Amino acid sequence: MSHLSDGALRRMFDDPNAVTGTEREHFASCTECKDRFEKTSADATDAARLLAVPAATFDADSAFRRLTAEPGTRSPRFGFRLPVLRQSARRPIAVLAFAVVLAVIATASANVAQIFAPTQVKPVPVSVADLQSLPDLSTYGTFAWSKEPQPQIGVPAATAEQVAGFSAPKTGTLPSGVSTNISYVVVPQAVATFTFSAAKAQAAAAAQGKTLPPMPAGMDGSTLTLTVGPALIEVFGDLPQGSTSDASQLTLPQLIVAESKAPVVTSTGVSATELEDYLLKQPGITPQLAADIKAIGDPTHTLPIPIPVGYATSSDVTVQGVQGVALGDNTGAGAAVVWIKGNVYFVGGTLKQSEVVSIANGLR
Amino acid sequence: MNLEAASERSRPVLSSEQDAFEALFKAEYNRVAGIANRVLADAHEAEDVAQEVFIDFHRLHSATAQYAAAWLYRASAHTALNRVRGRRRREKREQAVAHDEAGQALDPQHVAEANEERRRLRTALARLPKKPAEVLVLRSSGLSYAEVAEAIGVSTGQIGTLLRRAEAALRKEVNRESPE
Repeated sequence: MSHLSDGALRRMFDDPNAVTGTEREHFASCTECKDRFEKTSADATDAARLLAVPAATFDADSAFRRLTAEPGTRSPRFGFRLPVLRQSARRPIAVLAFAVVLAVIATASANVAQIFAPTQVKPVPVSVADLQSLPDLSTYGTFAWSKEPQPQIGVPAATAEQVAGFSAPKTGTLPSGVSTNISYVVVPQAVATFTFSAAKAQAAAAAQGKTLPPMPAGMDGSTLTLTVGPALIEVFGDLPQGSTSDASQLTLPQLIVAESKAPVVTSTGVSATELEDYLLKQPGITPQLAADIKAIGDPTHTLPIPIPVGYATSSDVTVQGVQGVALGDNTGAGAAVVWIKGNVYFVGGTLKQSEVVSIANGLR
Repeated sequence: MNLEAASERSRPVLSSEQDAFEALFKAEYNRVAGIANRVLADAHEAEDVAQEVFIDFHRLHSATAQYAAAWLYRASAHTALNRVRGRRRREKREQAVAHDEAGQALDPQHVAEANEERRRLRTALARLPKKPAEVLVLRSSGLSYAEVAEAIGVSTGQIGTLLRRAEAALRKEVNRESPE
């Protein structure tokens, strides 16, 4: 037989029984393998000696108490205030929506007066404490729809495609149990504006006994214009019944596939850096959340996806040849994946993450 | 699924998630801190690393994830190695001072040799590519071949080869650091 591999010789050093009988027979009569084993043993012995450290004892119980008891930054970041989520499902949904808006604005502002064109998505961990302490955007100015989102539910596929201006994404093989009956929802393009008001912001802060950082010059009265959609949504299975205006009454379907034009944001009167810095310095924004948003690194082309810490997990995945973010609910209630390839895509439902990613990769 | 109902049902799940994290912390803390200590040779700093690693884990992962322990081990090695890399410049400055102090110690030659060997190891580890350095640290911290393989994301059959190469590379780096 041929000589023993380096890996086999190294395993032999740790455990002479780790090699096969044939290898052991060869070794017994091979001077070359014995020489190599000598060198292997010498290196392994030296490494073990060099890496030896004085015995240290650690107290896990005390360490855990320190971790959970530490005041200020760590405890909320640690996310042990999760039980607050149980009081109502509505507030977390509302503040999470705000977090998305904040993240989009903070990111999009990097492209002042230009079309915001994100080309990738990245997760931003958001703790419950972050969500609870987010400021109310309406106290910083005036938000108004200049073109309200008007979803058309249950329309024929052709109508949905016509309104959206692009073809409906087509799925490949679906997991067994997922209905092939598709209901189409289309949301035409919507446009909203947000006009900053220094006086309004300071008055709202003063009423709560807080002090705001001064608005950068030119920000007072400046306007952000956010354009979203059109979006085309495919709901597999029957559409949920009941009011669609009450988030708590929504019923999650088995599978949702959605495609939307990437959001477009333009801004006047304030620079991207000033706006992002100002937003992230607000009293309700924790240093950790600000750091996580800033850590994105390429805000001009990145759409942040807020991930509620301890409530959902996220991981980077490759979807359709680009990087996406896979979300998995810790409760096992569902999974989703979001990615950008020209348009923004979403696939999610009450499925396993592997199934969702597989469906996403099978989209045509 | 009704979200209100999902929220209600999630109560025991959230509670068990916290319990699971505490159980994971207490089960793995010694090993995670031990891995960092293997690199840093400083128990206090190793505990800092262990806390940082657990917090990072908790921010993004479920404590019930099958990969939890493997993730923590690798993160501990990785974080500790990064700290060593940050230390290198400082240690270079301290080296001359250490030599001077050793000359005044009770057993100057012994102290100087021990300090020098520790310094050479940390410098050598910092110079090694990431994966070989992690393999060395994890294996020397008592992880089995299978555990090291899971932590760094390779097959168990590759560990012998990776260890052999890492140990040879460590020898070269340490010799490179040796005084003429």
